[in-house]
Amino acid sequence: MRVDRVAIAFLTGFLCVGAALEARQADPYLEKRLAMVRDQIEKEGISDPRVLGAMREVPRHLLVPPEYRPMAYAPRPLPIGEGQTISQPYVVAFMTEILRLKPGDRVLEVGTGSGYQAAVAAKIAGEVYSVEIFPTLADRARRNLESLGARNVTVRQGDGYYGWEEKAPFDAIIVTCAGGHVPPPLLRQLRKGGRMIMPVGGPFLTQNLVFLEKDADGALSQRNVLPVVFVRLLGH
Amino acid sequence: MSSRWSSCASLVTDARYGRVVPAVFLVSAASLANEIFLIRLLSLRFWPHFVPLIISQAMLGFGASGVALHLLRPRIAKTPGTVFAWVVLLAAPSFELAFRASQHVPFDPFLLLWDPSSWPAFALFFFLLAVPFFLAGAAVGISLSFPLGRAHVLYAASFGGTAAGAFLALPAFLFVPTELLLRVPLGMGLLASVCVLSYSCRRFPAGRLLCAGLSAVLFLVPPVPISLTPYKDLAIMKRLPATETLSVRAGMTGDFRALYAPGIHHAPGLSFRFEGEIPPQAALFADGELRGIVPREGGKNPPAYLGYLPAALPYRILGRPAVVQFSLRGTEGILMAAGNGASLVTVVEPATEYVRMIEHDLAAFSGGMPPALRLEIRKEGGRNFLARGGRGYDIVELSDVSSLTFSSLGIHATGETYLLTRQGIRDALARLTDRGVLAVSGWLKSPPRESVKMLHTIRAVLEEGGGAPVPARFIVVRGWGSFVAVARRNPFTAGELAAAKRFCRDTGFTLVWPEAGPPTDSRGPEEEGFREAVHSALAGPPGRSPGEGLFDLRPVTDDSPYFHRFLRLRSLPAFRRLLGDQWFPFLEWGIVFLALSLAVSVMLAAVFLLLPLPFSPAGGGSGGLPVAIYFSALGLAYMLIELTFLKIGILLLGDPIRAAAAAVGGFSLLSGIGSAVSAKWESPETMRRWVFPGIAVLAAAGFLTLFHGAPLLLAKEEGGRFLAFLSALAPAAFLMGMPFPAALSRMTVANSAAIPYAWGVNGFFSVAGASVASVGSLWIGFHATVAAGGILYLLAGKLYLRLESGTSSAPPGGI
Repeated sequence: MRVDRVAIAFLTGFLCVGAALEARQADPYLEKRLAMVRDQIEKEGISDPRVLGAMREVPRHLLVPPEYRPMAYAPRPLPIGEGQTISQPYVVAFMTEILRLKPGDRVLEVGTGSGYQAAVAAKIAGEVYSVEIFPTLADRARRNLESLGARNVTVRQGDGYYGWEEKAPFDAIIVTCAGGHVPPPLLRQLRKGGRMIMPVGGPFLTQNLVFLEKDADGALSQRNVLPVVFVRLLGH
Repeated sequence: MSSRWSSCASLVTDARYGRVVPAVFLVSAASLANEIFLIRLLSLRFWPHFVPLIISQAMLGFGASGVALHLLRPRIAKTPGTVFAWVVLLAAPSFELAFRASQHVPFDPFLLLWDPSSWPAFALFFFLLAVPFFLAGAAVGISLSFPLGRAHVLYAASFGGTAAGAFLALPAFLFVPTELLLRVPLGMGLLASVCVLSYSCRRFPAGRLLCAGLSAVLFLVPPVPISLTPYKDLAIMKRLPATETLSVRAGMTGDFRALYAPGIHHAPGLSFRFEGEIPPQAALFADGELRGIVPREGGKNPPAYLGYLPAALPYRILGRPAVVQFSLRGTEGILMAAGNGASLVTVVEPATEYVRMIEHDLAAFSGGMPPALRLEIRKEGGRNFLARGGRGYDIVELSDVSSLTFSSLGIHATGETYLLTRQGIRDALARLTDRGVLAVSGWLKSPPRESVKMLHTIRAVLEEGGGAPVPARFIVVRGWGSFVAVARRNPFTAGELAAAKRFCRDTGFTLVWPEAGPPTDSRGPEEEGFREAVHSALAGPPGRSPGEGLFDLRPVTDDSPYFHRFLRLRSLPAFRRLLGDQWFPFLEWGIVFLALSLAVSVMLAAVFLLLPLPFSPAGGGSGGLPVAIYFSALGLAYMLIELTFLKIGILLLGDPIRAAAAAVGGFSLLSGIGSAVSAKWESPETMRRWVFPGIAVLAAAGFLTLFHGAPLLLAKEEGGRFLAFLSALAPAAFLMGMPFPAALSRMTVANSAAIPYAWGVNGFFSVAGASVASVGSLWIGFHATVAAGGILYLLAGKLYLRLESGTSSAPPGGI
């Protein structure tokens, strides 16, 4: 019996070590990703365990163009083609956290881009509907999300300005592309009690984020929330 | 070089007639035209303000050609005619091919800081565009350095060509589509090729025919579309599904395109309270950047959403106002005025082709202009309009002083904005009626920058005039992402303040100034930061706004008219300390690019101008410190003065293209003439007593005349301003052509081994000088930059007599 226990323990340990080694081999960026979450996200004040878990799980390097993979976990946005960028990891985590997503939520994303934000949201919410206006990006994001196994994300090529009327209302709306105004159709498709976030700024720099909440009576309240770097600058 | 290629052969003694003269004329013209056209093409591909880069590239090409001629002199001397013919033949296609090739270089300016691997691509891009200048410089240099014609005739051809190239380029912008602009220098080069087909040989050699034929074929092949940086507004909009080009026009002030796509929805800062529909829109672009919006059928019925933008505030304060708007924002500005009860609208827009596009090409889409509105479009620059005086206005509108789109990257940090200087704002306030307001709107930034700098500027100008307390003469409203500030010479009345409050209530915007009530919890740090900044700018001592320690928020003047430059160099360590790895986005890309241009151009100049010197057949003697300092000073000083004249020319002539043509063409022509006659002035006494001090005095006098005479000159017609500009630069430019050939001539007698070194050093500092001049304009101002140029000339004058010292060797014979 004792020999059996020792053998089982040995085998279990062997399998665990082997699995860990294999996992590391399969995901050569794992350490970088964990360091990203630790240094760029947790340290900057993001604390929602579901958001942190999602950021640890989604392989960002698979969603950026191959030539930028070495920079995938750096604290900066990167080009993804069509003049669009993938937001820096902190901004994605910040936008996800502020929406207070929970399992079962129905989320609309406007501007699929690389699919990274949708993949992160899909780890937490029930369903994610994402609209991308550029056909090439929509196709690539659809493929990427399928390969990541994000089955609760549906990508549609179309003009996100009009939202996704058939699937409305939404508990949360994430507009990932900076815009000059909040589209009135999106405000209509936000459920009472719903939250919405939209970045303001040009490529490579999110200036601030517009956060909207629709209360139980359907009244909107708005405030601009700042990424940590801006708060630091204001406090200088 | 100090006076470009024209100075390289003041000692030509032999003279022969031939087809060299027209070839030199045409190649010189093609080269200058290429320089002017590249300003437009790179402005479209990337962003404006590439002038220093292009001048650096030209200087690199010309400088390298001078060094190459000296190094290869013994070989070229065997068959100078044949080498000349081949250089001309190769120069022709290079004007087109270099740009085509540069489009294939995977060069993304926005990754230069993040990705060091993109540096070689940038160097290659820079090098490729310098090749045509190298060939053109070599062609003219060979003709002058070797006895291929009479010196004075060749000089005349070179100067005439330079002037012709600069001044023919301007009308070409009107008649040649942007994609085909480089066909103009290609065509000139082709004609030059025809001139040399059988030069210095009996028959038409097959190789030359083939090369000229290739140029001819190149002339006929379709142009390659200009590849824009993918982040540019036009590039992004063109990729939208179902995009349709409605109109394309080009002129001296820009390349203008109008696109329609169902995915265009533009309503900057629109209130959440607006629940209606935004009609389909066409987007208008100037050099690839979004310039305005035309709502479909808006002329028949101004869209309601225009009343829900922050910029609508002044219309709610004043009834039936007479309005002047600076720059035509499609039809949106006009429709906003029409929809909000304006009695008269004057739009000041210098881009004639852009106005024609809106008035004619888009008339069917826009539904024309509102028929009930009294509308006048003045096709002139903003400062020209203001300088001329005339009727007063109730609303003077300066919209979009900060942008949300491509230009938010700080690409305009190095661009001159003369309307937003203290002088510009003073002129604008002077055009207000007694009840009139100056209205400024733009995007909010964190920490606030454009908004605060503009409030500082207006406050400073209002305080100059004394009168009622300045804080009572402002109203500032904040939208969710944008702001609008109105200011006037008199305090606002209670009724007007009540109207502003009603506007805020209707739109959901907030009244930030005058301050109302204590802070509430609902305000986030962004809003608090903005309120604090506005309070500090209007009521507090300057320098106390949030972020003011990091950014330069002082008012700008015409002496350094860079409203969009906020970066303080001394703040860089603080940025790094505060933001760690996340500080890059706060750098303004215009400045980053200027710094990188300087670095890359200096590196290339070192490789092509300095490294070859030890291989000089004469032994590569350095000539000692006097030679090094003398020729460095000439290279740098020439650029400091030329570029500063160019920048003040932008104010007087209205846009960078006209200013570059007048400044580059004028300096090249006049300095060339100065070089040609330098032999008569090169006695030590004349140079020391008259030429060097003359340059310092005349450059300063010319600049001061233009700068301080601007209020008078701006009111003159375009022809008068051109004439005044050229007259002001001419005396100094003429003398500036002398020190380089005079020194070479002096060294030929006693210090000839150092001549290649002199060429190289001079070229190196000329290349760097273009960027250094821009840095000087940004941080020390035009006056100081011109003064620095003058001092460098005086320093060179002190060293002129010492150029003969050094190791003498056998003269290279007939440079």
